[in-house]
Amino acid sequence: MTLVFTWIGLSSLGGGRSAYFYDEVVARRGWLRTDEFLQDFALSQMLPGPNFSNLAVALGYRLCGLPGAAWALVALVGPGAVVMLGLAVLYGHGWLGPGLETPLRWMSAAVVGLVAITAGRMIQTALRGGTAVLLAGLVFVGVGLLRLPAVPVIAGVAGLGLWLNRPRPGEAGA
Amino acid sequence: MSDLGRIGWTFLWLSFISIGGGLGTMPEMERQAVAVHGWITAREFLDGYTLSRLTPGPGMLVAVFVGHRALGVAGGVVAGIAMFVPAALIAAAVARRWQTVRARPWGRTVERTLGPIGLGLTAAGVVTLARSALVDAWAAGIALSAALILLPGRVPPVAVMIAAGLAGALAARYL
Repeated sequence: MTLVFTWIGLSSLGGGRSAYFYDEVVARRGWLRTDEFLQDFALSQMLPGPNFSNLAVALGYRLCGLPGAAWALVALVGPGAVVMLGLAVLYGHGWLGPGLETPLRWMSAAVVGLVAITAGRMIQTALRGGTAVLLAGLVFVGVGLLRLPAVPVIAGVAGLGLWLNRPRPGEAGA
Repeated sequence: MSDLGRIGWTFLWLSFISIGGGLGTMPEMERQAVAVHGWITAREFLDGYTLSRLTPGPGMLVAVFVGHRALGVAGGVVAGIAMFVPAALIAAAVARRWQTVRARPWGRTVERTLGPIGLGLTAAGVVTLARSALVDAWAAGIALSAALILLPGRVPPVAVMIAAGLAGALAARYL
């Protein structure tokens, strides 16, 4: 299991890819059923903290209990963290400096295109209903456009959302 | 509070407000790192995020970069641990009880509220990065081209980033 999670961590260049997990753990090895995976996926989206590592921890926990969860985290984040620290040291020494300035700028611009696509896809798949659009819109305007502190904005919108989405007696299948 | 403690605490609570994905944490992480604590400049933050996308593992590893810029290797290690470990403990603790919680009506209420908040934060993250990155027409053109290339979903993002980097190297030399 450690090997598989390390491999997923290393191969997830350019940002976490939950689909890798699905391929490795469900499709190829059959360690989990699809519905178990989807449950852990939904959970990892909801919990605070980085989604991708949350997913790894939830899956690792399901597979091997607490040791599984611990190893999942180390295997997934550890290698990347070491590389990142190395890059930060190089950057700090200015070795990623003058000659590489334009390439870095252009890569950053490409990243903006990339994250715009990612965000667009997420919104297209997951944003459903007037209440959801209202909540997402308020957060976007507050945190993105007005650059307000995120914590009060999240707290306020969460309060509003919990009230708007409050359980109603007549609702089936809640 | 010591500087190291301040870094640990900041990234700890940042990890708890990261709802719906790492990108959604970027507006507040940038605000804290640049405007509130002055650990790095907006430009450096963007560079760090870009490097984190070139690095295996989650994009939130930019926390390690910020921590290092603020306080060296120790800062990077503390920021990384604060960002990932406590949130993981909670994930492990909740994972076992999740099914029962989800079946309750208010479980659904929470899902329907946090989901859209996460999406709003993610969209805000795009704005944060664009604000620092789109400095001229070149950058805007590259961002647009990258988005168009990535739209069908056939080209790996890292290939597009590397291509943009190579193009930038050529531009620096010949333009």
